[in-house]
Amino acid sequence: MKFNNVRIFCASLLFFSELALSSSESFDIEILAEGLDHPWGVTFISEGEILVTELSGNLRRVSKGVLNPEPIAGVPEVLFAGQGGLSEVILDPNFADNGLLYLSFSAPDADQPKLNQLNVIQARLEGNVLVDQKTIFQSDPPRKTAAHYGARLAFLGDGTLLITSGDGFNYREQAQALDNHFGKVLRFNTDGSIPQDNPFTKTPGALPEIWSYGHRNLQGLVIADDGTVYEHEHGPQGGDELNLLLPGKNYGWPAITYGVDYSGAMISPFTEQPGMEQPLKYWDPSIAPSGMTLYTGDMFPQWQGSLFISAMVPGDVRRIEIQDHNVVTEEIVFTDFGRIRNIASSPDGSLILVTDGDDGKLIRISVGKLAP
Amino acid sequence: MIKQLQAFLISLAIATFLLVTQTTASNLFWLHSINMPVDLTVILSTMARDLIGMNFSGAFPTIGLIFVGLLIAFVTARVISIWSALKKPYLYAAAGGVALLAIVALMPLAFYNLDLIAGARTPAGKAYLVLAGALAGYYFGSHQQNEVSNEI
Repeated sequence: MKFNNVRIFCASLLFFSELALSSSESFDIEILAEGLDHPWGVTFISEGEILVTELSGNLRRVSKGVLNPEPIAGVPEVLFAGQGGLSEVILDPNFADNGLLYLSFSAPDADQPKLNQLNVIQARLEGNVLVDQKTIFQSDPPRKTAAHYGARLAFLGDGTLLITSGDGFNYREQAQALDNHFGKVLRFNTDGSIPQDNPFTKTPGALPEIWSYGHRNLQGLVIADDGTVYEHEHGPQGGDELNLLLPGKNYGWPAITYGVDYSGAMISPFTEQPGMEQPLKYWDPSIAPSGMTLYTGDMFPQWQGSLFISAMVPGDVRRIEIQDHNVVTEEIVFTDFGRIRNIASSPDGSLILVTDGDDGKLIRISVGKLAP
Repeated sequence: MIKQLQAFLISLAIATFLLVTQTTASNLFWLHSINMPVDLTVILSTMARDLIGMNFSGAFPTIGLIFVGLLIAFVTARVISIWSALKKPYLYAAAGGVALLAIVALMPLAFYNLDLIAGARTPAGKAYLVLAGALAGYYFGSHQQNEVSNEI
């Protein structure tokens, strides 16, 4: 047993030494928190205060580089199974004044416990407790599968909330129908009401909260200052996509796709069709994109305006540069951290990586001391 | 023995072909229903690509799954046949059906309730695949019977 510990210690030393050697010229790497149980969503209350969700159901707080051992109380019970659990956390645009935040999570259907739904709630953070919880959204119909929830949240400039709702895996064809929540981006006001200028409010038979459709498992969602909405989604084998989203548009899944099913079957022989949008980029082989941030900080001025995409296969971070709605650069910038579940830009301009698994870490990447 | 092996391989081919083409058909029927341009060329090329893709380039080889399923089912049926008076085509048909039922029913249990074989996502699709297994088993059982009668 002791010998094993020594071996693990030596291996860790070697790993971090190599990491330091490969990175010290440009980056400082600091582990802000570790031992997180499948961390997923991350947001910043302030420069030194971070909230992070654990898929297993806890909302954790990291203050000045120290993980509070007590999870935030008042988080609803979640269904932690497959890809489901406590997913995204996002602050209200007026959080400083109203203390509101939003959580997405999977939970059993109240009437049919064998089925489950994607839920989004609003709650107020008071100290270390969530109070005044209000349900903003429950996906309908419920599903039997514990996969492809989407579950990303982002605020548009007008203060409305975008929610990504995945296709549930077994229900992919439903992504093309407008009478359900599978494979959609949805838009709500923060009180759960539906904005009157949503694109399908006057379409007979369509759910008025739908903002765009034809999606699979949407895992990255960011909104630029000019209102441009970027989204990425897990495709099947060879079909991961980066999209520029516009209201009312159909992004094609599963009628058009660049990927094939895990079984090896063609999902569709078609890759394009009038009335269906093309991705800005697709990945073949798949990279399993898991999170995304638009970098606007000052710490890495050369990266301003770039999208950073975390990926789980084989595990890296990619920097994407977009000009005139075209991807002009893609470079892999970090590869040493294994499966990366999410990435975020900190208010101080550093990048925060969230590693996947039951010993997940928050890793801060900042400009290196030796950098010019 | 060679005839038994030949019968087994043909029954494996029957079950695999029926499973793959059912997945192809279910995908293409839906695409056609939303007015995608599905024509004969698309049907034939998709079927050919699925026969290769599902057996040789997927995350799991369909033919391998069916091979294991039918092998276990037919060996079990062979043992049961010692005591059972049921005619071999029917006995092996039941075994083949159970083998495919096990594949489509057990796979979701291992993968968060996901039906990884697209054609098996509906009850009708599952029933069809059980029938495909039964047909494969019936073929195998029929040739078992012939072999026995030849030996006599």
